[in-house]
Amino acid sequence: MNEQTNGENGHILVASDLVKHFESGARAVRAVDGVSFRVPRGRMLAIRGPSGCGKSTLLNLIGALDTPDDGALRVDGVDVRGLTGGREVAYRRRKVGFVFQQFHLVPHLSALENVLLPMELAGDSGRDAGELAQALLRQVGLPDELHRRRPAKLSGGEQQRVAIARALANDPPIILADEPTANLDSKTGRLIIDLLQALRQDDRTVIIATHDAGIAAKADAILEMSDGKIVGAGG
Amino acid sequence: MKTIRRAVRALLRSPLRAGLLVAVLAVAMGLSLIMITVNGAFGQRLDDIRAQVGTAITVTPAGSFGGGFRFGVPPGDAPGAAAGADSGAGAAADPNSDTGADADSEQTALTDEAVTAIASIEHVVGYSRQITTRYSGDELIAATIEPPDGADNPFARNVPEGGFQIPVLVTGTDNPNALTSLGVQNAEIVDGRTFSSDEASANVAVLGQTLAEANDLAVGDTFTLNEETVEVVGIYSTGTQFGDNSLFLPLETARTLFGREGEVDSISVQVDTGSNVTAVADSIRTTLGEDVADVATTEGLIDTISAPVADAESSSQIAMIAALTASAAIILFSVVLVVRQRIKEIGIVKAIGASDWQVTLQFGIETALISLGAAVLGALATFPLAQTVANGLVSDSSSTAGPGAGLQQAAGGLLGDIDVAVSPEIFLYAIAIAAGLAIIASAVPAWYVSRVKPAEVLRYE
Repeated sequence: MNEQTNGENGHILVASDLVKHFESGARAVRAVDGVSFRVPRGRMLAIRGPSGCGKSTLLNLIGALDTPDDGALRVDGVDVRGLTGGREVAYRRRKVGFVFQQFHLVPHLSALENVLLPMELAGDSGRDAGELAQALLRQVGLPDELHRRRPAKLSGGEQQRVAIARALANDPPIILADEPTANLDSKTGRLIIDLLQALRQDDRTVIIATHDAGIAAKADAILEMSDGKIVGAGG
Repeated sequence: MKTIRRAVRALLRSPLRAGLLVAVLAVAMGLSLIMITVNGAFGQRLDDIRAQVGTAITVTPAGSFGGGFRFGVPPGDAPGAAAGADSGAGAAADPNSDTGADADSEQTALTDEAVTAIASIEHVVGYSRQITTRYSGDELIAATIEPPDGADNPFARNVPEGGFQIPVLVTGTDNPNALTSLGVQNAEIVDGRTFSSDEASANVAVLGQTLAEANDLAVGDTFTLNEETVEVVGIYSTGTQFGDNSLFLPLETARTLFGREGEVDSISVQVDTGSNVTAVADSIRTTLGEDVADVATTEGLIDTISAPVADAESSSQIAMIAALTASAAIILFSVVLVVRQRIKEIGIVKAIGASDWQVTLQFGIETALISLGAAVLGALATFPLAQTVANGLVSDSSSTAGPGAGLQQAAGGLLGDIDVAVSPEIFLYAIAIAAGLAIIASAVPAWYVSRVKPAEVLRYE
């Protein structure tokens, strides 16, 4: 999984010598330090490692929320490193769906409106979008009576279900989940992981960043990270 | 539409904050709109004043005071006397007659020949004539002028106990619709009527209220003036004791009663347009001679009369600019605060696919809605408050202290009330200001949004 590759060969994601560093006072911290790996389509990959090892930064690079300093990154045929302006926005809309540790729902919008939001931003709105958003919320197991509630009126597990439904709104081929169970109790966390696992059925690729070995074990493949480098692979 | 809905929802998330912001902004914008309205009213009033008096030229005998009236100058010493005798065309010495007119009123007056000469000057479209005489005979009792209330009043200290009497001022005019003379301004007929053009030489008079009361005269009564019986056809009031101690007669009647046939103390010349006033004034000076006639254009008069309004207009302009600046500062400051507070939200929506433009648009709509709400409230406040503010500004400007203040106040009385008409167009101004502020304020979120990197914002939140 961490081998160098020159072609995509059915892989939805190919990363080569990916580098991202941050300035921390006078010294530079290499959060991602020469990482190379490939991910086949329709699989679930867990990036595991301790806090600060660079797994969230790696997800941000894949999701085009941040820009690599060096290396190459291709996702579903798109050169992510070269994205700017409208192409970067289109990539975030259509290629990836993000699930955050702290849910990051828009607080003044209802659960349904939060799921509708990415569709509206992508130019899809109207009755079909509304029905699709409802269907997605049902798919992630949120009861209908909670669809009109604002995030503050939902439990952590319910909010994370809404976040997963939102990530699926524009039907992206990749779902990126950054510590999706860290703020949930263990039972709810298992349900969320089951939900993410189920997404593979639609030939969707799921990449989870986690420090939990139990959650990582449910993935098809595991990348072990430490100090910004891939130090092991399994699965 | 979805963006507008989201903007409304975002505003309603903190209704108290949004309400306070609208209220504060409404005060500033309301003040701007009031000042715009008041400023327009002041401008209109100044235009009216210029239109009313801007084409008038006043011609009086050289060296005379006010409307041709001269105090205490012996006939032989009057400079116009000799000049008038030399020129023959413009002035004539007043014969010393036993008409009851005070000796001080004997003066070198202009003549109808001068009027004819003026009337023939190009661009002169009309004129009116007056003679003014101080009457000190015993057929009419001059009113007693009471001192003003208040021991601290400096004028009161110089008034003898029980008041004093001033001579009756008699004005003959061929323009009965404009009863103005020395000390008589803004005369308003309070009973009866003014005399008509059919009564050009009739023995009729319009008396000041104080004079009428002092002589127990009412409309329809008669009194004797220089042994002629004169009927009171009207009573006027100026609101001042001095101004109401006068009477008006038709010009020819006054000339006959006071033996001043063919004489004129003051000619009011109407010029076709304001741009020709200076040229006509120069022509009059050349025609009559500057040693015979003083020619006064209305520029100085306009400045004096309109000074309170002009000052108020300047004040309202400054206040308008200050209020607009305050509005812009309030909205900019609040938008900066709101954007900084919602930086995480900006990061989230950018992470899920919002473009910078879409985020900026939502903030722009929120800003526009706040501005619009404030503008509508401000515009509504304009209706009841604009008149009060206008009155206050003119009052402040009229109460200027120092030299010339009295003249300015007297001139201010000629202004009457400033009528501030608030039209529905104020809402157009309000919308324009709201749109302008929203556009200016939207620059803040536009700048912020373009700089927000979702990864950084979400990492540290």
